[in-house]
Amino acid sequence: MLTTLLSPVVLFFALGVFAALLRSPMSVPQSFAKGLAIYLMMAIGLKGGVEMSQTALSGQVFAVFGAATILSFALPLLAYFALRRTSGLSRIDAAATAGHYGSISIVTFVAAIEALRFAGLPTSGYLVAVAAVMETPAIITALWLALRGRKNDEASDTQIDRGELGREILLNASVVVLIGGLIIGAIAGKDGFEKLAPFFSTPFQGVLCLFMLDMGLNAGRGLRRGWKSLGISPILFGIYMPLLSAAIAAALGTALSLPPGDMALLMVLSASASYIAVPAAMRLALPESNPSVYLTLSLGITFPFNIAIGIPLYIAAANWLVGAV
Amino acid sequence: MTPDLHEKMRLELIIESPALRRAEDILLDANVKGWTVVPAVSGYNGMRRWSRGTDISASTDMVVLICVGDAELLLPCLSKLHSLLKRHIGVLDLTTVQVLRNAEF
Repeated sequence: MLTTLLSPVVLFFALGVFAALLRSPMSVPQSFAKGLAIYLMMAIGLKGGVEMSQTALSGQVFAVFGAATILSFALPLLAYFALRRTSGLSRIDAAATAGHYGSISIVTFVAAIEALRFAGLPTSGYLVAVAAVMETPAIITALWLALRGRKNDEASDTQIDRGELGREILLNASVVVLIGGLIIGAIAGKDGFEKLAPFFSTPFQGVLCLFMLDMGLNAGRGLRRGWKSLGISPILFGIYMPLLSAAIAAALGTALSLPPGDMALLMVLSASASYIAVPAAMRLALPESNPSVYLTLSLGITFPFNIAIGIPLYIAAANWLVGAV
Repeated sequence: MTPDLHEKMRLELIIESPALRRAEDILLDANVKGWTVVPAVSGYNGMRRWSRGTDISASTDMVVLICVGDAELLLPCLSKLHSLLKRHIGVLDLTTVQVLRNAEF
């Protein structure tokens, strides 16, 4: 666990958080950070596709896809229930926040893959596709939670443009680049990827460090601005919810006899909270919701928790569970 | 010699970027001939400061839509823009302005 905490990726993230908390004016240009994110997603998609091209699809793979989809649909229900019972958030804010906790954070996923590689645990390439699949169902559950019981006069005032929302949640950058990279990687295979390796493999760690510095700055600024308005209960939710989600994923992973690396990744996917795809969808579909609640929780609380404590914890738990079974 | 000036209406809408397309659709439906969108860099909303580029999803970024045109075209858009602003973060103001080239508007 200490080794993961002291990895350059985590240390650069911590540097960003501290710089933001100390009100450093330092920043990474937004378009550059977006470029870094696309690079990371493309690299991880390509690598996953290459690995998929070398392994046959089994029944277990389809079962994992099914389990992941169910998790993404169901985790927001648990999150919504917990938030409504403990935090005092409104129905709309609780539903919007719950959607973030059923969807995934692709950067946490990338950091977990690197941590697993560091720990010498192999992972399956198809989990990149699982990550892409888990982006969307949570948004549907969140919208259902927010819109159910809405009065007719409210409904007429708050109609959702399904085409616009559909494009946002099904064709956002994460889904397009991950699935696209995965397919291209599967077509290119190992030989095709070797030509790209100097761009996508060798600099990957350095680019990830740079991106994590920016994420640290984002998380620190979000935390600095939002924590006062949140209260203790939602902040605690940002810590216990990923643990609950990871525990449920671990139970499913054990039932599916997943190897430790894959189980740890499924736990990470379930425990992570979105801060790219879901906030954009919520601003379109539920603009009455308060972005400072869900962005502070997902980016300022859960993301740092997962990077610093969650990932090593999930890896240790997956190792222990597989060893114990 | 001072060139002739023509009176027009200027609509300025500061709105969260995810809702921009909805605002533009309202103007398109009203046959408004043109507008310009520029990014808003930072501001203060009465409770806290905000600034562009602090959220990777860009969902909390703000933009400014500037539209100059005939009052007969812009005024009918107001009720729909008002409905939009009931749900989305933003402010709207209208001013009377003078333009040089009438045919451009």
